[in-house]
Amino acid sequence: MTVARPVWVRSADDNGFSVVTVTDRPVDVRIDGRRVWTFWTHRDTVPAAFPLDRGPWPIRTAPWPAPLRRHLDGRARISVVDSATGATYFDRDVALGGGEGEIRVRNKKGVDLGIDKSGRLVPTFAGRSDRDISALLDATESVLAALRSAGVEPFVAYGTLLGAVREGKVLGHDSDADLGYVSRYSNPVDVARESFEVQRRLARDGWEISRYSGASFKIYVTEADVRRGLDVFGGFLDAGRLYLMGEIGTPFEREWIHPLGTAELEGRAVPVPARPEKLLEATYGPGWRTPDPAFKFTTPERTIRAFDDWFRGVQPGLRHWDRKAAQASARSAVKKPSLLAKRAAKLARRLDAEILDVGAGSGTDSLWLARQGHTVTAYDFAVRGLAPAREHAAREDLPLDVRYLNLADRRSVLSEGARLASRPRPRVVLARHVVDATSGLGRESLARLCSMALRDGGQLLAEFYTGTDARLPDWVLGTVDTDAFATLLRGAGAAQVDVQELERKGRPIVRVVGEWS
Amino acid sequence: MSSLRPGSSRAAVRRLEQRVADLEADVAEMRRHNVRLAEIVDVVQELLVPMASRDDEAVQKAIARFQESL
Repeated sequence: MTVARPVWVRSADDNGFSVVTVTDRPVDVRIDGRRVWTFWTHRDTVPAAFPLDRGPWPIRTAPWPAPLRRHLDGRARISVVDSATGATYFDRDVALGGGEGEIRVRNKKGVDLGIDKSGRLVPTFAGRSDRDISALLDATESVLAALRSAGVEPFVAYGTLLGAVREGKVLGHDSDADLGYVSRYSNPVDVARESFEVQRRLARDGWEISRYSGASFKIYVTEADVRRGLDVFGGFLDAGRLYLMGEIGTPFEREWIHPLGTAELEGRAVPVPARPEKLLEATYGPGWRTPDPAFKFTTPERTIRAFDDWFRGVQPGLRHWDRKAAQASARSAVKKPSLLAKRAAKLARRLDAEILDVGAGSGTDSLWLARQGHTVTAYDFAVRGLAPAREHAAREDLPLDVRYLNLADRRSVLSEGARLASRPRPRVVLARHVVDATSGLGRESLARLCSMALRDGGQLLAEFYTGTDARLPDWVLGTVDTDAFATLLRGAGAAQVDVQELERKGRPIVRVVGEWS
Repeated sequence: MSSLRPGSSRAAVRRLEQRVADLEADVAEMRRHNVRLAEIVDVVQELLVPMASRDDEAVQKAIARFQESL
């Protein structure tokens, strides 16, 4: 009996692949032998037509992922290979786009890129040399050692654990290294406190860290030519359930984690849970032993809700603002100032006040205000975007200070508030499109910051979108209740709050001026 | 669940659905206090003692050190 071939790939063109599939299987797309993308032949394709010569299955189209498309101009050997069995379903020279030159899926530094499990185009290990992988392992080992000295017992987790246990190797399609630890505590308050303490100790030792929840953060390490973030996921056991930040909430035994064991990863011993297969099963299901690079986590609703409520929401919209920050340039800092900034300049002159630009973005207003002779502090949680403005200011010897402030982290707001309160002077707080870009907690925090910063008098100038206009930018979070915001400001000590409804570029905005005396 | 016997009315199911939704919201409300409490305890733990010393230099140093770890 012949076994039916499960997948036919009929063609590859600018639109993607034409596929006829009997079962749903993961396949790797390779360009000149390098994997750039993995898709499921059913799940990730759409029906196009019924081929009369191929039986009852429809032709399906697997469209190229958008981030990959802009690289697809030229000629290359394109193959489609079964991720699990290695069977080749397609292998031809193909011309895409203009068809001139060679197709290269690389970044500016010449590093090969591939689509990761979240659909992003990132440097992957598949196209990387032994030297790159060993540099990453060096970095992983030093982060593991640092975490141990900070008082937790880390192990490799998620894709890194899967690679170590199943193949003894870094998975080719993976793009990062994941680390986890299970806290000695069993409630979210202590788990978060411990995570803060771990971060504090690591920061003291000079590690660069970016927190993205109350129980997880990224540690940045530059290995070889690439700066990578290693994810560190905190977890805890309570009442027979393991919660490991990110994805896992499952019945679990403490003995399956501790004492930690070891596995070999690229010939080096790395720490793993006592029963790694239990954690792998909880993460990837009972089929974890079979390769599937396109595997997508489907975290149960219950787990998502628990993590959201316990630990998340500490940086609303950061992904968007981080992307924007990465695009900030010397030019973006010197655009025209906003009308609100001009008003802040006048007011600051009248009050002899310094200016706090909260949510300063690329620092256009801050730099302009500093150039008018004002003492300015530019605050943002995506602080990288302020680097060009800071450089301008340093060159021109302007009184512009750049500081990190995260309105959704009370530790950030309270400590900065305390710093400002200890140096009382009149201030103007400029908050342009902050109120509409943050959460309810962020709005409370802005009011609290004003109450601490404006003890010697001053004003808050805020502008934000209201309403649910479909043309509002996508970074707007929910709808701001202007009355509730005004009430918050009064509660924070504003003697007077004026609300004005205006229009900018055809969109309704609200200007709120709060006065502290 | 006596209200879900065979033949129980749609209204009873709707009431239970509403109750589940309310319970989920109540749980979320309580769970959200966790990180809030952790943050506040962290600030107090790190800044209270230096502030109680009333030594301005020590206070400024403690704030700066604390902020470096955020």
